Amino acid sequence: MQLTVNGKQTSIADQETLSVTSLLETLQVSQREYVTVELNGEILDRADFDGATVKSGDAVEFLYFMGGGAA
Amino acid sequence: MQETARRFKFDTLLVHGGTTPGPAGATKVPIVQATAFAHETAEALEDIFRGRAVGQVYTRIGNPTTESLERRLTVIEDGIATIVTASGMAAITTAIMTIVRSGDEILSSSSVFGGTFSLFRDTLSNYGVTTRFVDPTDLTALSGAINGATRLIFIETIGNPKMDVPDVAAIASIARKHGIPLVVDATISTPYLARMKELGADIIIHSTSKYINGTANSIGGAIIDCGTFDWQSDKFPHFASFHRKYRNLAFTARSRKLIHKDFGACAAPMNSFLFAEGLETLALRMERHCANALKLAQFLAGHPKVSWVNYPGLTDSPFHEVAARQFDSRFGGILTFGLSNRESAFRLINSLQLAKNLANIGDTKTLVIHPASTICCDYTPEVKALMGVTEEMIRVSVGIEESSDIIEDFSEALDSL
Repeated sequence: MQLTVNGKQTSIADQETLSVTSLLETLQVSQREYVTVELNGEILDRADFDGATVKSGDAVEFLYFMGGGAA
Repeated sequence: MQETARRFKFDTLLVHGGTTPGPAGATKVPIVQATAFAHETAEALEDIFRGRAVGQVYTRIGNPTTESLERRLTVIEDGIATIVTASGMAAITTAIMTIVRSGDEILSSSSVFGGTFSLFRDTLSNYGVTTRFVDPTDLTALSGAINGATRLIFIETIGNPKMDVPDVAAIASIARKHGIPLVVDATISTPYLARMKELGADIIIHSTSKYINGTANSIGGAIIDCGTFDWQSDKFPHFASFHRKYRNLAFTARSRKLIHKDFGACAAPMNSFLFAEGLETLALRMERHCANALKLAQFLAGHPKVSWVNYPGLTDSPFHEVAARQFDSRFGGILTFGLSNRESAFRLINSLQLAKNLANIGDTKTLVIHPASTICCDYTPEVKALMGVTEEMIRVSVGIEESSDIIEDFSEALDSL
């Protein structure tokens, strides 16, 4: 599957779809307890990480508030 | 981290909770005494600034040693995030300024620490934030003082130096009913007496300079976000964009991205290391502080030259019942007592050999102060009365020395009056 992750083309082998929780694990995203996930421009509820799925062509953004910058 | 929290009991969490191995297997976090952090590429630094990646930038915004302490405090208090600050007052200022805007009101306990009273009454009032002070043990008055502009309730778990003990769970219930957060300064009770989240606090404040540090070697503070308050409310439109992105982390996100970052009251990495060291022995020290304070309170209560003793551990204290219930029959290390007048109080302080006369609490050493002439000297008699400060009063922060030595010091000083 081909995703755009934080603006970069990213390939994930042998997967047609993945839950957001599995995607966070597969991509070894840091500080998963704090990360905000935006899927195709929509902010996901943390409670939906297990239920929401990503598929080829989706755009995913991981957002943190730790690094400073504007909200 | 959360696995650890589930597995271990409180005393074990103090030692191990939220810890991660250091370099070469070190069991201590390194003291990263650095101002800024270099990155290989412009893109990597941009990603951190834009919030796309986690990383260190600048110690005012974040620091590995300080973050380690933040993780540990989050686990110990069962919160969702912590911000460690330069002082306890910085923690209060940062937390309050994160919540309120000009035109808003704070409902505060009238028996808060003098520095907090001054912040609320004399400083924040200049920026359009009004504070109403109410006796926190009078739930009817507290409830009645809430109006449409009230944005938070602020209390101390044990009032300093009034030694009153509000019913935290009852006040949390009032706050919840009115859709406002309960901010609790738990410096004197520490998480050893009770974890305030369990009693309904939404935000927990500590002056880590006191019992968490334990040996009086650094100034610091902490804000623990319990993640329990729903910031998606008409009362808090300034949280809307933070709630949309960060949900129950909205308070910490707003604080980190605006108030804490902009006010700049960050912790020194060396101090964060020292607070983490202190945390590990908190339970042992508090056990001794509590035991020694009760023994000293009982001795003073039976002494003919002592007019009164205020310690929630004494069964005749009006706060004994609520303190016993919410603190599991542990009552902390601070007490106040009265002599016949101010002159007697001064003479007693001057006669003490072991106890140090200074403006602090929570040290291993026994400390005394005459609040009316020192930490509360700027206030009128009316305000002092509101704060429970009287001219004949001495405050004692009971240390962890051998209890008979502490009692002998006070006994000899009383004999000299």
